[in-house]
Amino acid sequence: MPIKVLAFAGSPRRHGNSETLLDWVLGGMIDPDVVIEKIPLEEAGINPCRGCNACEKLNKCVQRDGMDICHDKIIAADIILLSSPIYCMGIASQAKALIDRAQVFRSRKYVLKLPVVPAERKGKRLGVFLATAGQNWDHVFDAAVPSVKCFYHVIDIRDDDISYLMINNVDEKGAIDLHPTARADAGTLGKSLITEIRKRLAG
Amino acid sequence: MAIKVLGISGSPHRHGNTETLLDSFLDGAKAGGAETEKIILKDLDYSPCRGCNACHKNGECVVRDDAIMVFDKILATDCLAIASPIYTMGITAELKGLIDRGQYLWARKFILKTLYFTDDHIRRHKGLFISTAGQNWDHVFDGAFPAITAIFNGTGFEYYDNIIANNMDEYKGIKNHPSAMKEAFEKGQKVVRVLGDLNKKG
Repeated sequence: MPIKVLAFAGSPRRHGNSETLLDWVLGGMIDPDVVIEKIPLEEAGINPCRGCNACEKLNKCVQRDGMDICHDKIIAADIILLSSPIYCMGIASQAKALIDRAQVFRSRKYVLKLPVVPAERKGKRLGVFLATAGQNWDHVFDAAVPSVKCFYHVIDIRDDDISYLMINNVDEKGAIDLHPTARADAGTLGKSLITEIRKRLAG
Repeated sequence: MAIKVLGISGSPHRHGNTETLLDSFLDGAKAGGAETEKIILKDLDYSPCRGCNACHKNGECVVRDDAIMVFDKILATDCLAIASPIYTMGITAELKGLIDRGQYLWARKFILKTLYFTDDHIRRHKGLFISTAGQNWDHVFDGAFPAITAIFNGTGFEYYDNIIANNMDEYKGIKNHPSAMKEAFEKGQKVVRVLGDLNKKG
């Protein structure tokens, strides 16, 4: 069975700094055993959550849109990455829409008490959050992290199994190319994730 | 001139806990003599920021939709109450989508330097954040504050107060909360009084 990697590029800007960072991590994962799929959220057609709570009864969302296919891919993947720029001290609204639509997994897990992934796959999934910010403040990522943790939590990826690579002080398109360590750190992260998931899947 | 109070509801859910709390605030403001207006974001047609940075050149957004009208109203009000429920430890995607569209004002302030709010202007423009959360954690609102701070800073408002109530899942709705509805009403009355006093003093 190939290792399945699912990557969400959360920026409205294609091939900007956060997506480049994502590409670098994915580059480190290239391997004959690995199947990588990248979904730019800008093109994924995922509406925001309506807050109707119908998923608490139906075990599915009442909206039929791009989330239908992403829902199945989220369950199937071994490694799930999400990248987003920081806009106004938080993740982009496209990424927030994806995260909020994970409400169906929360309902499944906590209201309906049904499994999100089969028991034998628990602890064998890894998450990654990648972000870039124009600001140079160290705390610029602080508001993004709690939402990301919730997202991974409801899709059965443990806190300890989330990796983070967050790069501040990159604003204009291409600015990340000039960053002293981002590219190398991203490649190393990609490689280490594949090593780790192999270990988990074998165990 | 009556004090103008603008409420913006960022909930996708009409007449839910957050909008009901906003209504109580606006009722209080009206009782205090203000002219109030409520905008429901889910009924408007606007897209999220594209991150194209075109506004950095001329201070205008290339996307012409309802978001521009909302920012025009924001810039014309004395008090701005922004309301959103907490979804997944943050504000809703609808509200975040609107806030991010304010980038053209940021560009006017910091790149083009064509927009400047004096300290006196900021003192006379009060911003409040109104929110509810299902979770009972005290820190459940922490992820929302920075984006709210960003829009108040970007549009010339003093971040004046919060009206927030957690643990909605337990209370089964805002109307069962022991104090939030009353607090919102009273804070609506109070902010109008405070702004009126500032105007009288000149």
